[in-house]
Amino acid sequence: MGGIEIGTAETVVFWVLGPIALAGALGMVLARNAVHSALFLVNTMLALGVFYVVQEAPFLGAVQIIVYTGAIMILFLFVLMLVGRDSSDSVVETLRGQRVAATVLGIGFAGLVGAGIARATEGMVVTGLEGVQGGEGGAADGNIEAIAGLLFTRYLLAFEVTSALLITAAVGAMVLAHIEREPGSRLTQKERSRARFLTSDHPQTLPGPGVYARANSIAAPGRLPDGSPAEASYATGVEPQVVEELPPGDPAGDGRDPGAGRGHGPDAALGTTRGVTR
Amino acid sequence: MSEFPWLLTMIVVPAVGGAAVAALPKGRDALAKQAALAVSLLVLVLAVLATVAFDTGGERFQLTTSVSWIPSFGVDFALGVDGIALVMLLLIGVLVPVVVVASWRDTGPGGRSMKAYFAWLLVLEAMMVGVFAATDVFLFYVFFEAMLVPMYFIIGSFGGPRRQYAAVKFFLYSLLGGLVMLASVIGLYVVSTSQIGEGTFAFDALRSLDIDPGVQKLLFLGFFVAFAIKAPLVPFHTWLPDSGAEAPVGGAVLLVGVLDKVGTFGFIRYCLPLFPDASRTFAPWILGLAVAGILYGALLAMGQSDMKRLVTYTSIAHFGFIALGIFAFTAEGGSGAVLYMVNHGISTGILFLVVGMVITRGGSRSIADYGGIGKKAPVLAGVFLVAGLSSLALPGTNSFVSEFLVLLGSFPTRPVFTIVATVGIVLAALYVLLLIQRAVHGPARGLVTEQPFPDLRRRELVVVAPLLALVIGLGVYPQPLLDLINPAVAATMGDIGSDPAGTQPATAEQGAN
Amino acid sequence: MIEAPDLSLSALSPFLFVFGAALVGVLVESFAPRHVRQPTQVALALVGTVGGFACTLLLAGRGEVTAAGALAVDGAGLFLQATIAGLGALSVLLFAERALDPARSAFVASAAVPAGSPRDRELLTDERVQTEVYPLATFAVGGMMLFVAANDLLVMFIALEVLSLPLYLICGLSRRRRLLSQEAAVKYFLLGAFASAFFLYGLALVYGATGTVQLAGIRQSVTDDGTGTLLVLGLGLLVVGLMFKASVAPFHTWTPDVYQGAPTPVTAFMAACTKVAAFGAILRLLYVAFGTADWTWRPLVYGIAIVSMVVGAVLGLTQTDVKRMLAYSSIAHAGFLLTGVIGLDAGTGSGLAATLFYLLAYGLTTVGAFAVVTLVRDGDGEATALAQWAGLARRSPLTAAIMTFLLLALAGIPLTSGFTGKFAVFRAAIEVGAWPLAVVALVTSAVAGFFYLRLVVLMYFSEPAEDGPSVGVPGLPTTIVLAVTVAATLVLGVVPGSVLDLADGAARLVG
Repeated sequence: MGGIEIGTAETVVFWVLGPIALAGALGMVLARNAVHSALFLVNTMLALGVFYVVQEAPFLGAVQIIVYTGAIMILFLFVLMLVGRDSSDSVVETLRGQRVAATVLGIGFAGLVGAGIARATEGMVVTGLEGVQGGEGGAADGNIEAIAGLLFTRYLLAFEVTSALLITAAVGAMVLAHIEREPGSRLTQKERSRARFLTSDHPQTLPGPGVYARANSIAAPGRLPDGSPAEASYATGVEPQVVEELPPGDPAGDGRDPGAGRGHGPDAALGTTRGVTR
Repeated sequence: MSEFPWLLTMIVVPAVGGAAVAALPKGRDALAKQAALAVSLLVLVLAVLATVAFDTGGERFQLTTSVSWIPSFGVDFALGVDGIALVMLLLIGVLVPVVVVASWRDTGPGGRSMKAYFAWLLVLEAMMVGVFAATDVFLFYVFFEAMLVPMYFIIGSFGGPRRQYAAVKFFLYSLLGGLVMLASVIGLYVVSTSQIGEGTFAFDALRSLDIDPGVQKLLFLGFFVAFAIKAPLVPFHTWLPDSGAEAPVGGAVLLVGVLDKVGTFGFIRYCLPLFPDASRTFAPWILGLAVAGILYGALLAMGQSDMKRLVTYTSIAHFGFIALGIFAFTAEGGSGAVLYMVNHGISTGILFLVVGMVITRGGSRSIADYGGIGKKAPVLAGVFLVAGLSSLALPGTNSFVSEFLVLLGSFPTRPVFTIVATVGIVLAALYVLLLIQRAVHGPARGLVTEQPFPDLRRRELVVVAPLLALVIGLGVYPQPLLDLINPAVAATMGDIGSDPAGTQPATAEQGAN
Repeated sequence: MIEAPDLSLSALSPFLFVFGAALVGVLVESFAPRHVRQPTQVALALVGTVGGFACTLLLAGRGEVTAAGALAVDGAGLFLQATIAGLGALSVLLFAERALDPARSAFVASAAVPAGSPRDRELLTDERVQTEVYPLATFAVGGMMLFVAANDLLVMFIALEVLSLPLYLICGLSRRRRLLSQEAAVKYFLLGAFASAFFLYGLALVYGATGTVQLAGIRQSVTDDGTGTLLVLGLGLLVVGLMFKASVAPFHTWTPDVYQGAPTPVTAFMAACTKVAAFGAILRLLYVAFGTADWTWRPLVYGIAIVSMVVGAVLGLTQTDVKRMLAYSSIAHAGFLLTGVIGLDAGTGSGLAATLFYLLAYGLTTVGAFAVVTLVRDGDGEATALAQWAGLARRSPLTAAIMTFLLLALAGIPLTSGFTGKFAVFRAAIEVGAWPLAVVALVTSAVAGFFYLRLVVLMYFSEPAEDGPSVGVPGLPTTIVLAVTVAATLVLGVVPGSVLDLADGAARLVG
């Protein structure tokens, strides 16, 4: 069979990166935080990329890092950040003992397959890339040519059919995420203005809430000149409620209120120290 | 004469008739009945004509029709009858019109339209004819299973209060048996492939196979279980009392009178000739089951309080006799068993019908609710008595001849079983006479006084008259039937290797007198 | 210099038709105005599937390997492709039904609108439909057709994904009970991805053991070098992945939930076409690649067949929902099909032809049965609880009669296609001496018969409930499906000769 020797450096790289790749994979599954999860995956992918390079497939290694790590994982992170990174799964067990059983069986299965493979590969002669891919379009012509040769000959059909997979994925993403607006279901700016002028007796903007005038909550209504709450200023989506307001100012400044110095004027809400210093 | 495809016509006519009746518009129940009667009478006429065309001294299988059906399985649509099958066709021909007339005034539970009932009856008739006329094992199996469907609907849609349970039980028992048989059918096919070179299901070809004894035993058991469930022999019988009691009277007559005969017919047509060695090996066990069935059926019949269940238990005892006759491996026993199959169809048929008439009048199936029917309905009571006597095989009635032949035929080879079986005769007298004494004699009481209890109407007389005539007629002169049966039985017993030489005509005449 | 591989366009024509129709469908989805999309998409999907069907018929009799050894064009493959395309066309007709549901379609108007939101309720009775289902289903049909013709494990894997991904999607697009439907989709997706991983792992191990992914190469290697642990391990993992798609117990756990949750037309599509495709791939893998080393898979398949029949038949007894019941029935039938696979025997066995016939018969019957399920409805959509079917024969004798006939076919009563199919596969099993398996199969058939019968009992012998479901009047598409499936079930039961001969003649695998 004419096996080849595996160099020391390759062995060292394998034993260093192998655990890292595995730890990344486990971390991806076990991390509670979705961003951590994604970063663990990036870690694994990078390790795999290095493996490819070490195995005389620099092109594949580069593709792995550029496409997976560089493009796909970054897109992933984008989406996670946009959606909100703190959404986490419910960890309530619906079936009692399910997790323990799954762990035991999973380890058992991994052990079974691992032992089988270990047994089968024991003493196997290492062929090397050249031995496998010899011949025309093989490794002798270079890694990139070898891949191209396979893609355009033996795996041409597979390559073409993959396009169906990608189209399906794109269509699926659209189906699941894209809410199509009915034509006319969202009014244009012009239509909105027109409607407001035609139907409402209130064409101008509505008054703002009383924030910073008397309180720092948008639940506080604005005041009309007579001091009564302006109903048009109620915030949408927030129940109007009584919030702790500063006492009304005393524009006359007649000194009825012993502590008036602190509460006087609209600026009082800003917490000035005027009253103290005076 | 035999150019005309009699058997095919006898399958097609009721099948088409059934479809036509089913297709009638809603509410045309009267037309449905008339059409069903006309079709069933036509089948009777065809059966009689086919009998005329049958040459008793000729080939074993006559009136044959054969077309290739599924070439890649080697299946032919092959029909043909020997004497045994022919008498069963005659029985079907007689019983179906009788059942149609007997069901004339029935109403379905919950006001169901009876149209479907008559349609199913005709479909059932087609299937029953097919089962007896098939000479291709695959075709036989197809009819054997397909026959379940109409019966299932007859029991399930038109039966008594527990009809759902009974129908499902019936279907599942038979289906299970049938599927076990299917394994054997395929096994036979595989054996034929290896021996003949190409797989076949043709009965004649399969009969000539030389099957390894070990394989033979397995294949035999597959067939046997299916037939033993169908017949039914004793540990496989539990579905019959439920189905028989819950089925509408007409359905029960056909179920016990004809459908169950497929089991005993299967023994004599398939088990014996195809697996002679295995048949001999298992014969003592089967005879044991048969005798157990005779005693068990009779004892349970005595303990029944429900009239229809009682009749089904008497049938279990009678099937024991039939099995005894078949597995005694003598020509007399075989002839007796086949004749018994016909006679049992007639006598149980009439007994079921009479019991049904009583139940229609009283509205209860319990024997204890009746008494002194004879006082209010003398003709009904008389018919009841004759039916009962036929069931207990009184000399002069049809059943006597066959029972006597069975015992006569099995005594030389199986004396112990035969002697035990004779106890069954005594028990039969007990259960029938007890039933008649309780229900018919004595002062009128119970439902007989509470309900208007009219005597037989003209329609009911039409129903029972032909059967009564057959009870007496075949009791006195069974020779025509025996002439049809004997050559076929002799051929069967020849297959299994017993000595077919005998004095059947002589014994038959002895039996008749 | 790369030599262009030899591609036989005629051999590829079924795929070109189906994938072409799907691609045009995607373009229509992008550019056509909404009101013309539904009819256009239905027409396109039908053109694609029926065209693919016709192409496979035209190719009949070919036996070659093309596309650089990636694609096998042979009798068995073409038979299965025709079956898939035909059943796919019937399913598309079921998808297109709009007359039955007052909500106008079985498919959601807009899948992205959260279930239960006000907008969702508003859209419940909306005219519009997520018409992407048609190109997606067409893609799935294409994937399935490729799956049964793949002569290369890599192509097989890609075909597996091409057929699975659209199915995951359209499972979740039910218009009613959307959460259940979405749950089904997620479950199917997760478990399906898991199964794909098994397949891929097995593929890697087989490649490691033999140095090739081409089935013929694997066969060569198996014959020359024998089988090592690595190869058997790889084979085992490949089989697990395929059995999952075929919903064979013990890899069936997704089946009842997904069958129940998915829109019923999709369930019909999955139950019929996916099963055909998965078994096609199983046959090809076991026969072409491992045919000379059948001791490696025969005990495995033997055991799985028994487990599947028993699980399907016994758990089917406890079901209270028609769709779940049919799901367990599909598991039991997968077991019956495996008895046919056991009947594969080099040269002499009739197992291949029997399995092909069984797949055709089962597919037609099951599409019909699910079509009937779409008819029976109450105010809340389809009435799938068994109890609701009580007394259906009174309300609609014809529907009940059709369902009964199809159920009898599933139970394998003679004069229906189910019986012919069962007979064929059991014969194949007994021929190779697997009669204990055949006996188990027969006994489980009887057990399974019970739950089919229970539905018949309910429909015919029970009194209808006061507020029971009504039977919708089907539109033209469903009527065509019912007519075709019932007629086929009857014809394949009464005069199956010519189709059996066809299957016999088609029972050739190249590779």
